[in-house]
Amino acid sequence: MIRVENLTKAFGQQTVLKGITAEIHAGEVVSIIGPSGTGKSTFLRCLNLLDQPTGGKIFVDGKDLLARGTDVATVRQRMNMVFQSFNLFPHLSALDNLTLAPMHLKKVPRETAEQEAIELLRLVGMAEKRDHFPDQLSGGQRQRVAIARCLAMKPEVILFDEPTSALDPTMVGEVLSVIRRLASQGMTMVIVTHEMDFARDVSNRVFYMDEGGIYEEGTPQQIFDAPQRPRTIAFINRLRNYERRILSPDFDLYAIHSEIEAFCDKHLLFHTARHNLLLAVEEVLELSRPRLGKDGLLITVTHSEKTGDLSATFTGDAAYPNVLDQDAPDALAKNIIRSIARDITFAATGTETKLALLLKTA
Amino acid sequence: MMKIGRFALLLLTLSLGMLGLAGCKNETVPLIQTMTDAQHARIGVMTGTTSGQLVAQRLPEAQVQNFDSITDAFAALKSGQLDGVVIAYSTAILVRRNNPEFVILDEKLSDEQNAIAVRKGNDELLKAVDQIISDLKAEGVLASMAKRWFKTDPGPYEEIDIPVPTTGKPLRIGVNATREPFNFVDKNGRITGHDGDLARLIAQRLNRPIEFQDMKFMALIPALQAGKVDLLVTGMFESEERRKFVNFTQPYYANSQVMIVKGAEAAPSGESSFWSGLQQSIESNLLTESRYLILWDGLKTTFVISALSILFGTLLGGAVCFMRMARSPLLSIPARIFIAVLRGVPVVVLLMLIFYVVFASVNISPVFVAVVAFGLNFAAYAAEIFRTGIESIERGQTEAGLSMGFSRTATFRLVILPQMVRRILPVYKGEVISIVKMTSIVGYIAVMDLTKASDIIRARTFDAFFPLVLVAILYFLISYLLIAVMDWGERRTDPRRKLQKESAS
Repeated sequence: MIRVENLTKAFGQQTVLKGITAEIHAGEVVSIIGPSGTGKSTFLRCLNLLDQPTGGKIFVDGKDLLARGTDVATVRQRMNMVFQSFNLFPHLSALDNLTLAPMHLKKVPRETAEQEAIELLRLVGMAEKRDHFPDQLSGGQRQRVAIARCLAMKPEVILFDEPTSALDPTMVGEVLSVIRRLASQGMTMVIVTHEMDFARDVSNRVFYMDEGGIYEEGTPQQIFDAPQRPRTIAFINRLRNYERRILSPDFDLYAIHSEIEAFCDKHLLFHTARHNLLLAVEEVLELSRPRLGKDGLLITVTHSEKTGDLSATFTGDAAYPNVLDQDAPDALAKNIIRSIARDITFAATGTETKLALLLKTA
Repeated sequence: MMKIGRFALLLLTLSLGMLGLAGCKNETVPLIQTMTDAQHARIGVMTGTTSGQLVAQRLPEAQVQNFDSITDAFAALKSGQLDGVVIAYSTAILVRRNNPEFVILDEKLSDEQNAIAVRKGNDELLKAVDQIISDLKAEGVLASMAKRWFKTDPGPYEEIDIPVPTTGKPLRIGVNATREPFNFVDKNGRITGHDGDLARLIAQRLNRPIEFQDMKFMALIPALQAGKVDLLVTGMFESEERRKFVNFTQPYYANSQVMIVKGAEAAPSGESSFWSGLQQSIESNLLTESRYLILWDGLKTTFVISALSILFGTLLGGAVCFMRMARSPLLSIPARIFIAVLRGVPVVVLLMLIFYVVFASVNISPVFVAVVAFGLNFAAYAAEIFRTGIESIERGQTEAGLSMGFSRTATFRLVILPQMVRRILPVYKGEVISIVKMTSIVGYIAVMDLTKASDIIRARTFDAFFPLVLVAILYFLISYLLIAVMDWGERRTDPRRKLQKESAS
């Protein structure tokens, strides 16, 4: 239904999209994931020409969107968009937000338009608040009204541009549930998102975007469980693991702590495991503080759900010594680390040294 | 109800306060009894008259202050801001007639003559008018006119009817109708006085209809030069300086400049003086000769000019705003220039430029010119207000409208405009009030608005304060009315009105 051929987009000197070719079929849910700044939103906005592409072609049902004489407004009526910042019309009530377009563009009589609007508000659970104005609604409620507003024009495709990024974590769920429901009803959707679990179970296909193009595409299982290309692998790994590079002796220990705690929350690590992990990182960093090389020190924390192994790895440059060596000072720190680790390995290659701690979790 | 009550209270306090202020005049014995006493005095003269030069010659150390209207000069003399006013004898006897506390000094500053000014090059008319003045002199008509108009007793003037033709090319007479007894406005709103009669006699003998154009004294000569009027018949002195710009007929009245000072003043007559003073003011300023009609006409004119300027300015401002925001420099640069120039030029200058330069050779209603000038000025400000309003609305709103399938125009009309209007309304209202007040300068192009009406009344009664306070109140009422209408509109279009109504019931 949407076919994109060699789409490019440049803002001034900077090329954001470097030739994208893709196809989206009717009834499909496509998620677009990838690091920030790789043109995911730009790609989406090019699809309905909110951003004018620099080159390439977009076909909607075989009709060239970029050809002269194409009525873009009519095509957009069939391809509506949900924004990160909701963009509800603040001067209109929830109900009027929904009826505006059908009444003016499709000449639907007010009665009918309101009937349909109430139905749609019911679908997203907002019928009760039909007379409220956008500023009287919470973020999640606003986004649900915005989705209903999209549906009011009975579009064939809905483009979601990071629909939950502007929301409080507590409100993400209600919006995702609404999108899941639409997916189950067979709505064609293209979703740019950072919610990986959601992308995984709602999509038919996933585009991993990087380096200004679709770097890898496949089913959610292919992308999330068995990525093939190096950048995809690194991205998926980063989702799993915790990584941080320390560049100076004046590192922010509290920030590291809270990030590791967030990692523990995500991986359901509590009590001993959490305590040991925090303690190990802190002690190793203290021991390393006087020896930080110019490349700093990379902390990687990994947790395997299958085996339950929790490990912390510290990678430094070639000059970085084994801080747990017998000759090193500060016996207390070393003893603490030895008591919480199941296994300690130190490996040195020509360019880097790696200290790996396999931690006790119980 | 509360609101109206508070409003009335405010008005009352305001007016009483100002009248009270006017009431407390400081009493002084006359410091100046001869011209020699006035060496270092503060002397008021009229802008554009010969008095300034005369004072500078006779009293080189005196402080000269220029006034645009005689009324203002005497108001200043009355309130002690001036020690004397130098003015033509004809005016001096009149002022003395209405204000017994003033004294005319015996010494004359000049021997001058009043004559009619004609545009240079219009020799045919000059010759004809000259001949008519000679005839009037010979027939003794001028002498009898002088007797009727330049009198010292306080009774009413004896007016006679001078019929003039009603068809043909009108003879356009430039006057300043605050120059009793030469020119003033009578109870029928007609220009009368010695020179009113004289002008009519000339028109009668030239067999042409007459058309008076009342304007600021200093605007008279430019208007004559620009061809807006044919003759200036308004007690103008002939002088060497003026001869450089216009031609004069032979003189029709020998007038001289004299100085008026404040004499000994009678003590105010007890407690009731304020109320009886107020009563007297209402009597003389409003009821005598039905003067309230002049105010009513002025009020209507001010209202019409304000309302039309706002309407025209808003529409034009919208267009300029559209151009200013256009991506093409072909549209945006002219709009930028328009805004910069119109905001940078004083409205009074703009008004006079449009009247005396742009429409110089076109016979056009001054009210129309005023609407154009104020409308242009309003448009420049309105355009920037609109732009601020539009730019304050997030891009997302436009994007949401477009992505639903609305055209750019429809998105603007349905999404941006309603939001923008509500955001700019407070600033826009301020601009409306400011334009209402700004219209008070239309007197420069011979429009009789509210301010001019009060000038005319003050020129007759020499009551400086009551008409001013009254006019202040009337301006306030116009602004209040316009704002009330806009507030009503604002409430009517408030999207939340429905909601609040429902929750209230």
